Amino acid sequence: MDVLEGMPVSRYARLTRWLFRLWGLIVIAFLYLPIAFLILFSFEDSRTIGLPWAGFSTRWYEGLPQNPQLLQAVGNSIMVAVAVAILATVIGTMAAFPLVRAGLRFPNAVRILVTMPIMLPGILIGIALLIFLTRVFGLQLSLLTVVLGHLVFTTPYVILIVAARLQGFDRALEWAAADLGASPPRALREVVLPLIAPAVMAGALITVTLSIDEFITTFFLIGPQLTLPIYIYTQIKFGVTPEVNAMATVLLIGTLGAFGIGAAAYSQGRRLLRLRRRRS
Amino acid sequence: MTVRAVGGELASPPTGRLLPRRLLRLGRFWPFVPAAVLLVALFFLPLANMVVYSFWKTVLFRIVPEWTTANYVRFFANETYLRTFLKTIVMAAVVTAAGLAAAGPFAYFLVRYLSRRWQRVILIATIVPFWTSYLLRVYSWQIILGERGFLNQALMALGIIHEPSSIFVYNNLGVFLVLLYVYFPFAALAIYASLEKFDFDQLRAAQDLGARPDQAMRRILIPQIRPGLITAAVFVFIPILGEYLTPNLVGGTEGVLISNLIVNFFRAAQIPAGTAPALLIALFVTVLLVVFRKYLRIDDVVTRV
Repeated sequence: MDVLEGMPVSRYARLTRWLFRLWGLIVIAFLYLPIAFLILFSFEDSRTIGLPWAGFSTRWYEGLPQNPQLLQAVGNSIMVAVAVAILATVIGTMAAFPLVRAGLRFPNAVRILVTMPIMLPGILIGIALLIFLTRVFGLQLSLLTVVLGHLVFTTPYVILIVAARLQGFDRALEWAAADLGASPPRALREVVLPLIAPAVMAGALITVTLSIDEFITTFFLIGPQLTLPIYIYTQIKFGVTPEVNAMATVLLIGTLGAFGIGAAAYSQGRRLLRLRRRRS
Repeated sequence: MTVRAVGGELASPPTGRLLPRRLLRLGRFWPFVPAAVLLVALFFLPLANMVVYSFWKTVLFRIVPEWTTANYVRFFANETYLRTFLKTIVMAAVVTAAGLAAAGPFAYFLVRYLSRRWQRVILIATIVPFWTSYLLRVYSWQIILGERGFLNQALMALGIIHEPSSIFVYNNLGVFLVLLYVYFPFAALAIYASLEKFDFDQLRAAQDLGARPDQAMRRILIPQIRPGLITAAVFVFIPILGEYLTPNLVGGTEGVLISNLIVNFFRAAQIPAGTAPALLIALFVTVLLVVFRKYLRIDDVVTRV
């Protein structure tokens, strides 16, 4: 549906259209070229990255599963992300309900307070929590403190995402369920939750991504353990090597794959659910 | 007070004493309590605690609870610190301006020249890099801009330069480029969200009524997409104030930003000295959020990524 299609187009309009198309192309290239290079150089044979091309090799990939530090870092990252995702999704989803429905006295103020942890740069969360947990409470830094740090900025994401979905929610459906004799918990379980499920899913997915990727708060709050970003950071500080690129490529494909599978599984799940309902 | 419903008694009349209305209102907030506890205990209290620390002294690596403004005074008296702080703000502003200038036409291109279906495809393609590791996106630029990087090799192959140059990386230019790369998707998303709602017939109407294209743009289009522009600006500007990784990895000594100083203070165990600049950033961010609260469409960005 080209807006200008079918109309007499002046030469000037045609030129602008091409300019805009070119700009779109440049932007997409700008966004993807670095990623392309990252992947390309993971297959380079030589130890130091760069042109001229030294030859094709998959040896950097073969080395990855034999790297105990890397495996441990991946394990820690997954552990933290799962814990953060479960807690943030439950707490955030609960919080979204009163935010939308309870008639807050100062809705804008509450909204700003909830968004503050998202907007404030992560370094502030990191150092504020570091001082608070270690100096005031005398806690030892560990994966637990990392989980606490990640909860601070992921929970608001879930709150905002679920709240946005609840805002567009037709409450008549809930009232209809109540009229038909559903108890409030049952209406919640069978009417409300299935309808806001996409938002809850999205919230959980974002939480996992943000947690796995988070560097700066982790940097301040982690003890002797490693998470994946911290491990990669120490490797990059050593120098640019194809091993890091191989790791990066795997991570890239892993994230996107998980994202795609999540989305596909979700729509498939809904389809199955609908089918089953129809049969019964 | 007896409660009566139209047409007779309520199906299940309230048993026992009715709760006072205020308590009832409070009762509806209970699902918010865990989140409130979380945010207060892990965010607002730590920040308040940091404010207190910033007014305390460090004597021989130990923090002494004695009130002083020395941490702030020292920060403002030191030319390097002050310059780095101002430079951080300038860098954030320049990247924001460049980001808007790049994202504006891009979003316009999406809305005006592509079908709905393609809009969605390109938009997703714009957001996908956001889903990949931030650290690795910064790292990927080292591969391009570094001394043995692609750019140098290409320029040498073309005969423009004869030796690998390090002018592309480990300086302010490198930091600028990488920051623009990292935050562009936010800007594009925010501007797209507001452009998408704009009715472009209004522009044609304005021109039919005799407005020049630039007048129609300034008086009709810009005011209506202002929330998107401001949201985009805020989403690029604010994170850069606390940017640590990019200057750390591609900035070298020249590209240092305020967060790098803060981390150095912490490494040297000068915690109160490090909290002073951190709180300046926090103050700056808070003021921005409050000033622009009416225009901010945080949901547009957050719920779409």
